[in-house]
Amino acid sequence: MATVMNFLINYVDAAVAYATTPADYILVDLVNDYLIWTAGDTVVKDLMTHEPTADELNAAGTIISDIADTMVAKCLLMDYSHSVGGAYYTHLVLGMGLNSRYSYCFSFDGITATIPRLEAWDDSDHDTIAKHVLGASTPANSMVKAVRTTGGLPGAGWAGTPIAGAANYVELDTAVLSGAKDLYANCKIVIPQSYATPSAELFCLTVRYTYL
Amino acid sequence: MNPLFQILFDDKTTFLGGNLKETKWQSIPDKKIITLIYFMPIGDALVLSEYNAYYHYVEVTNDLTGPKKGQVQLEYIYLIGKKDTTYKLYKINLKTQQIEIQILTENDKLIKELNPIGWKKGI
Repeated sequence: MATVMNFLINYVDAAVAYATTPADYILVDLVNDYLIWTAGDTVVKDLMTHEPTADELNAAGTIISDIADTMVAKCLLMDYSHSVGGAYYTHLVLGMGLNSRYSYCFSFDGITATIPRLEAWDDSDHDTIAKHVLGASTPANSMVKAVRTTGGLPGAGWAGTPIAGAANYVELDTAVLSGAKDLYANCKIVIPQSYATPSAELFCLTVRYTYL
Repeated sequence: MNPLFQILFDDKTTFLGGNLKETKWQSIPDKKIITLIYFMPIGDALVLSEYNAYYHYVEVTNDLTGPKKGQVQLEYIYLIGKKDTTYKLYKINLKTQQIEIQILTENDKLIKELNPIGWKKGI
């Protein structure tokens, strides 16, 4: 059968691998759940008891700094089923943007022909990167930074690869998969100092992989 | 419905492929391939023969965010024939049905990084 990938986020301890403690991870229901990058506030936060509204998300937006680049402080999983650890709709992705190895997990159940990649696009057509968050068609300027952590910690203050489009991506391992394996990455959004165009943008993070 | 491909071996036996989700590529018997007929989604067929080795794989995307998140999208079929030190790659776009042909060498990243388990022997 075709190789299948499951996407999980760590919400307990970003120093622990999925294989070691599966209970530290939430299996993301990709159809109904979604990720929120936000500065957060007293309303939009870990362990919300309702789905955040658009107004609430806007109020918790990141403030663009005129003196330094700004990392969006939090990534929340919006858990549609709100069935993990109580009736909570949001869970903080632990270690996002930090020197943490096990924040985002990509669990494959079989072999691949090529090395799986993490990419970013405007939408599911996977053919444009015009959005500001993706560098407004200049991949090197993408605000979405990712780093492979399958083999180890990303390092303090990791810069990552600005991912956008077909040329700027992160390979999630150093070789093709010869069997089932859990791959890891860390991913953050960094807004350049004094960026002139405030916006709330939806973009498409995608995993591209192959099977025989 | 056509199988994905049909293979004729040097012992005159044949093998039928599956579909894009279960290709059966890894179930191909360990015998020399004389001809590989690949049935295109649009109804045409590619016929490959006289190669030293053959490779086939399917490329998909699975969006983590965006309007189609959670849907595994079929993107490309890759079909490769190796002859001596050159590799002829047919890259079939499953959305547009267009075929891109590339001539590669063993030094190209795509060839170097392929999972070796996928190669099937030819003549």
